[in-house]
Amino acid sequence: MPHHEFECSKVIPERKKHAVIKGKGETLADALPQGYLNTIPGSISERGCAYCGAKHVIGTPMKDVIHISHGPVGCTYDTWQTKRYISDNDNFQLKYTYATDVKEKHIVFGAEKLLKQNIIEAFKAFPQIKRMTIYQTCATALIGDDINAIAEEVMEEMPEVDIFVCNSPGFAGPSQSGGHHKINIAWINQKVGTVEPEITGDHVINYVGEYNIQGDQEVMVDYFKRMGIQVLSTFTGNGSYDGLRAMHRAHLNVLECARSAEYICNELRVRYGIPRLDIDGFGFKPLADSLRKIGMFFGIEDRAKAIIDEEVARWKPELDWYKERLMGKKVCLWPGGSKLWHWAHVIEEEMGLKVVSVYTKFGHQGDMEKGIARCGEGTLAIDDPNELEGLEALEMLKPDIILTGKRPGEVAKKVRVPYLNAHAYHNGPYKGFEGWVRFARDIYNAIYSPIHQLSGIDITKDNAPEWGNGFRTRQMLSDGNLSDAVRNSETLRQYTGGYDSVSKLREREYPAFERKVG
Amino acid sequence: MSTASAAAVVKQKVEAPVHPMDARIDELTDYIMKNCLWQFHSRSWDRERQNAEILKKTKELLCGEPVDLSTSHDRCYWVDAVCLADDYREHYPWINSMSKEEIGSLMQGLKDRMDYLTITGSLNEELSDKHY
Repeated sequence: MPHHEFECSKVIPERKKHAVIKGKGETLADALPQGYLNTIPGSISERGCAYCGAKHVIGTPMKDVIHISHGPVGCTYDTWQTKRYISDNDNFQLKYTYATDVKEKHIVFGAEKLLKQNIIEAFKAFPQIKRMTIYQTCATALIGDDINAIAEEVMEEMPEVDIFVCNSPGFAGPSQSGGHHKINIAWINQKVGTVEPEITGDHVINYVGEYNIQGDQEVMVDYFKRMGIQVLSTFTGNGSYDGLRAMHRAHLNVLECARSAEYICNELRVRYGIPRLDIDGFGFKPLADSLRKIGMFFGIEDRAKAIIDEEVARWKPELDWYKERLMGKKVCLWPGGSKLWHWAHVIEEEMGLKVVSVYTKFGHQGDMEKGIARCGEGTLAIDDPNELEGLEALEMLKPDIILTGKRPGEVAKKVRVPYLNAHAYHNGPYKGFEGWVRFARDIYNAIYSPIHQLSGIDITKDNAPEWGNGFRTRQMLSDGNLSDAVRNSETLRQYTGGYDSVSKLREREYPAFERKVG
Repeated sequence: MSTASAAAVVKQKVEAPVHPMDARIDELTDYIMKNCLWQFHSRSWDRERQNAEILKKTKELLCGEPVDLSTSHDRCYWVDAVCLADDYREHYPWINSMSKEEIGSLMQGLKDRMDYLTITGSLNEELSDKHY
């Protein structure tokens, strides 16, 4: 597994240790990219900062909270609404964002008074909200504002409110991942164990590392409720502040995104003895195994099996319709941290795609271990790539689609590589059995979009080819090489779910299971 | 965690263990690597415990031996082991015709391989970080 040197990065020789190509018969012990290190000067990284990683990724998906940044208004603006973590309380946490709007004069004279004034003003503006998180930024960290002291003062004056302080300024780590770490540890140190929850069932979990992107959390919680499992808290998508203060009472921590939230799971195991079970909510087989494991843990495997059988029967023919048409298509799997390993193997197994590259902007070597282990030979793995390396990789690998975030995605579009938003999704949710079909549908739509017939023609040239062959639809493009048996199959079908697959779950009534213990 | 100190550590290459059933161990290892997550906890002491407990219980299930389920942690290891043992029986049917002694030897070889790939031979420089 030799390291790979990009032509464009020969002037930055340190970059060579950040990319490898998996070779025949080689293992993780042969080579592994460097990871989670400070970005090399001269390499224009696509990373976020530690403040963003704490606030935007982990903190703000909490739904019943005023999330306020103590710093310049730009810090808050740039971490507002760009990731679609919805909630079932009318998206309060997405609608509003708050900043203390620190200016130059506050840097000179201090901004603690300004902070206190803003906290009280925000609580008065939204009297129904009694919980707040405050995020440190670079500017206010450098001038030494004592946010904790101000928060304590306010809580003494307003005993009905509770405030969490997150000290993760932008410079507090090499990337957003530093912020994930800091807020995990801060939350368990400050808040876990400060609320005693009402336990309503025999089987109680925390659902950890799940951010309800376009409703992912609600899909998974629906399965858990159908199994008679009480979800005490979700860390943090669609999660409530007080639910997360009660995490210490769960029987099991069910962990999705280990990159962003394994720290709190590990601490919950050490401090409170709660086991950690890593699961995959993406893909039929991994999801079925995950539900089965949770069912077995609580002795209710039959309930899990009933859900799996029902969901697979409903959605498998639709997944397979897309698999027939996606077979062999090359993918650059360039999402954030966890999705590169959640998806790497299962999109090959269940959608027929071929992963030719994985990358992560902020993942650690542990993420690369998981990702490379799940990929086939010849896969290019890159840590913290810069834009030129991304373009060079696209030129070298010639993928049919790139699954990534919106910044590199827009770059890919310019070189006419179809892009799907793996970060905030195009038409999610993508978790759950139906969600996995929606994902396949979105990949299919991206690869076979008729727009590519037009976008390749440079009409500024005098000798541009004329558009004389007629317009070919998406299905004309995808079905040309299929056998008649597949093309005319009466069992396979395209996605038949609705535009909105989440709202209906909020109206659902769940079975009541008799409790075995009081 | 301290990235600077982690970066400064250069791990020495460790030789892979050798076992008479290497080809079969390769297949079983590849299945774990592609389909499981439990082997990649973030610290070496957690990986040691995960590999030991889950593979011990997998071996007991494959051999039809009793499995200790006395604690919630045991149950958590066990659920991963049940899925792995079922998948092994389905995807590698030759395992069903092996004797208990052969399965014991095979699973010991598998554990040695997993320990090598995820711990002793791993190039992950964060494994020895003392904090989560």
